Amino acid sequence: MIPATLLTNALLVGAVLFCLGLVGILTRRNLIVMFLSAELMLQGVSVTLVAWSRYHGDWGGQVLVVFVLTVAACEAAVALVFVLQAFARTGRLDASAWQALREENLPRVIDHGLPADDRVVPTWPHLTPAGVLPEGDDSRSLERDHV
Amino acid sequence: MDPVAATTFPISGLLLAGSVAALAASLWLLLPKTSDTANSRRLGFLLGTAALIGFAATGRSLGCVGEDAVFLTVAGIAVISGLATIVTRSPVYSAIWFAMALAGVSGVLLVLGAQFLGVATIVVYAGAILVMFLFVLMLAQPSGMAPYDRVSNEPMLAAAAGAVLLGLLTLSIGRLSAAEPPSCCRMPSRAQGMAAAAPAEGAASEDDGSIAPATAGVESVDADEVAHLGAELFGRHLFAVEVAGVLLLVALVGSIAVVSRGEATETDHRRESR
Repeated sequence: MIPATLLTNALLVGAVLFCLGLVGILTRRNLIVMFLSAELMLQGVSVTLVAWSRYHGDWGGQVLVVFVLTVAACEAAVALVFVLQAFARTGRLDASAWQALREENLPRVIDHGLPADDRVVPTWPHLTPAGVLPEGDDSRSLERDHV
Repeated sequence: MDPVAATTFPISGLLLAGSVAALAASLWLLLPKTSDTANSRRLGFLLGTAALIGFAATGRSLGCVGEDAVFLTVAGIAVISGLATIVTRSPVYSAIWFAMALAGVSGVLLVLGAQFLGVATIVVYAGAILVMFLFVLMLAQPSGMAPYDRVSNEPMLAAAAGAVLLGLLTLSIGRLSAAEPPSCCRMPSRAQGMAAAAPAEGAASEDDGSIAPATAGVESVDADEVAHLGAELFGRHLFAVEVAGVLLLVALVGSIAVVSRGEATETDHRRESR
């Protein structure tokens, strides 16, 4: 049994996680990040269920969270297979690549004025070469590439 | 006691509205947009911190376990990592932040006293599901940062919707704690104090505050938690466990079937093109 104050604080944490996941799944366009946001929503629900379960001294909530874990594992397996298939067809992990499936009254998503790719290109250290270059057998190394 | 009831009862409406507005603005500033600059992101971080502090203050006025430092730490880790999960541009970093959020959630579950679920979250989510996500990212991520990671759909509307929903949930949680009798964390220690017939309650209240969380923590730990959960799972919910096992099997077979069928059609296409 937990005190009511810990219950309300845990409910608050669950609500925050749920809302963050909701915002993520509404806004992000990367399919993987959308699934991560869905998992974040599941985490919020799990925290809420466990908090109520501990508050009432009832095991039903925790049993439900065990099943949430199970279904999340199944969902991730099946969903990632579909994501891979979608990537094989379009070459992108973009949800808007499938906008031909949208409702008729919705506008097309058109990307214009994309922000620049502001990643910092990493500079790798240059190592001084040491030792003898091994004798390479080109035919064997080519074979190995295909294994 | 009167001060306890006064801190438990009302939510400051102004504080809540300010936190909601700050959260919406910070989410909008932090989400990937076309008009992003480093300064707007910095402002978003600042506003997000302010919103989190505001919500933490709301939580403190909801309950009085604000002094539980362990809970505050793990909850802060979970919430900040969750925020970073949805605003990070690189999906790989997003997945790693999600692992951090899982660690925080697992800590929250441990503080709540659900030991099995706290460990299972780490093992199943961070160990299996997240690694699967990372594998798919390795297989499918194009080189460099993709353009669709640098923009997002309707960031302003979605941030406002999420923040307003969070405000409404906080209001309902506050109403819940107001409806219930304020059984505060200081209650057990105060009961002990009364049993010991402490003469000066006002002077002892400082000590009560420091003792109370420890007492509550000891009470909330159930030594046979895993055994009880197992008995419940395999007693009352045995049929559901069997159904969950079948579901796992069907998901496994189904995903393999979809993958192999996709490969078969690809080879068919190749044969046709040859």
